[in-house]
Amino acid sequence: MAGILRRRVRVLANSPAAAGTWWMELDAPDISEAAAPGQFVMIGFGLAGIDPPFLPRPFSIGWRGEDGRIGLLVREFGAGTRRLAQLRPDDEVLLLGPLGRPFTLPENRPLVCVAGGVGLAPFLFLVPEAIRAGADVRLLYGERSGDRVFDLDLVERLTGLAPRVYTEDGTVGRRGLVLDGISAEDGPELFGCGPTPMLLALERLARDADLRLQVSVEEHMGCGIGTCQGCVVRSADGRWIKSCTEGPVFERRELAWPE
Amino acid sequence: MTQTVFGVEFQGPVLLASGTCGYGREYADLIPLDDIGGIVTKAVSVAPRAGNPPHRVSETPGGMINAIGLQNVGLERFRAEKLPWLAENLTRARVLVNVVGHTVNEFAAVVRGLDDAEGFLGYELNVSCPNVEGGTLFGTDPVALADLVARIRATTERPLVVKLTPNVPDIGLYARVCEEAGADGLSAINTFPGMLIDVERRRPVIGNVSGGVSGPAILPMGVYLTWQAARAVDLPIIGIGGIRSAADALQYILAGARLVQIGTALFVDPDVAVAVHRGLEAYLERHAVADLADLVGTVEIRTP
Repeated sequence: MAGILRRRVRVLANSPAAAGTWWMELDAPDISEAAAPGQFVMIGFGLAGIDPPFLPRPFSIGWRGEDGRIGLLVREFGAGTRRLAQLRPDDEVLLLGPLGRPFTLPENRPLVCVAGGVGLAPFLFLVPEAIRAGADVRLLYGERSGDRVFDLDLVERLTGLAPRVYTEDGTVGRRGLVLDGISAEDGPELFGCGPTPMLLALERLARDADLRLQVSVEEHMGCGIGTCQGCVVRSADGRWIKSCTEGPVFERRELAWPE
Repeated sequence: MTQTVFGVEFQGPVLLASGTCGYGREYADLIPLDDIGGIVTKAVSVAPRAGNPPHRVSETPGGMINAIGLQNVGLERFRAEKLPWLAENLTRARVLVNVVGHTVNEFAAVVRGLDDAEGFLGYELNVSCPNVEGGTLFGTDPVALADLVARIRATTERPLVVKLTPNVPDIGLYARVCEEAGADGLSAINTFPGMLIDVERRRPVIGNVSGGVSGPAILPMGVYLTWQAARAVDLPIIGIGGIRSAADALQYILAGARLVQIGTALFVDPDVAVAVHRGLEAYLERHAVADLADLVGTVEIRTP
């Protein structure tokens, strides 16, 4: 638990990157330096006002720049995320981080990263780190429709990798679901982040093929540091465990998976 | 800013509220815990409790709703794993242990099981949790409340505070019951029961269906209930509900609170505990008041 930082940081950039989706860069040098792929930050506006988001919101750290930047992928879902989308350069926000348990890089096994929607975010950080560590990495990325596909040039620039894209309407990339792209042939280790139905299907696939899988989960969060116990998920042995400090990254065997 | 309450000194009037600061350690990186008045631990029950299904928390206008369900490690692990850290690291800040039980015997068992341990000052009895079956049973039944407080009073000589529920028609009655049964103080108030519905799914947002509402939205209700309780008893009152600034804390103090607790606001900005402490100091200086205690209950009610 050492080294959680609370910082007032400046927005450096916040640009549209797909329908209702924004790429935000923040000037957060010491949080950036301390962060590992899979960790997250709580981002909020402090106590001056009560407009949503009143509570800070968890966001995966999606990439870090060499100049102390961190990137966040913001998709508008409600009033809170809409306000984040409206941030402009030089606006300030409160950050708490880095938080949570990061991904563990496998040794001598290819990585297949499976991203659904904004579940892309942690892989924008994991992929380049894994490539730097000499790993063989593939990035599969699915969206419901082509207009929601995150700026692919930016993905390639941030990660050094062109993702294989799947859309349900087939307007960008291949038509189909992101799971269609998984091959168990060379015994990869799977990494998943995305909506619950995708994670459930990914877990089933990993179980059937006996592959290791690490997932990054999302649950409503209050504090981000383990005090409120709001963000629980069901563990394999039937307990409620905190996604903020015990996760957000879990091995599939640690969690209970409903059939 | 030192306040003498329950016969001991608090180095400041600001405490962190139960359920929002875990067992202290979680905030060690972020808040200079030993520089504030104190903390109130997450509720401790005899046996560990699993808690409620998610979602457990969600934002509401000006605050949040939660239904954690008193998930906690239980008496044994609290004493073995949590208290030693508090004993070692909080030497100036005061620690109250929040205690919960289904029955008087369970409350008493927790108090008996902790009473000879080091690392805390006293107890805050949780008779007001809206998120578990029977959670407000003691807090809304004057006879049961009197019995519980008297029984715990007979079990310990440590300071004994009762955390009241706002969900009663006359909080003064419950305050008097606690006073007569031997309590040393009152915490006013716990969360308000509430419900939030996801209209797209047409389902409750909170897994437990209902939850407790906290945050700035409940500030005026907390201040009013504190004022009512303070008029009913001579016991010191700890004001709680929606505090996020020194001005908010002062409303509670002017209404009659000796100390205050901050909860939900910690999630928004952990610096709030120290900021409120400093803001109170600045207020005293600006108004040339020597001691915060001189302000307690001094709201001036003018009759036309």
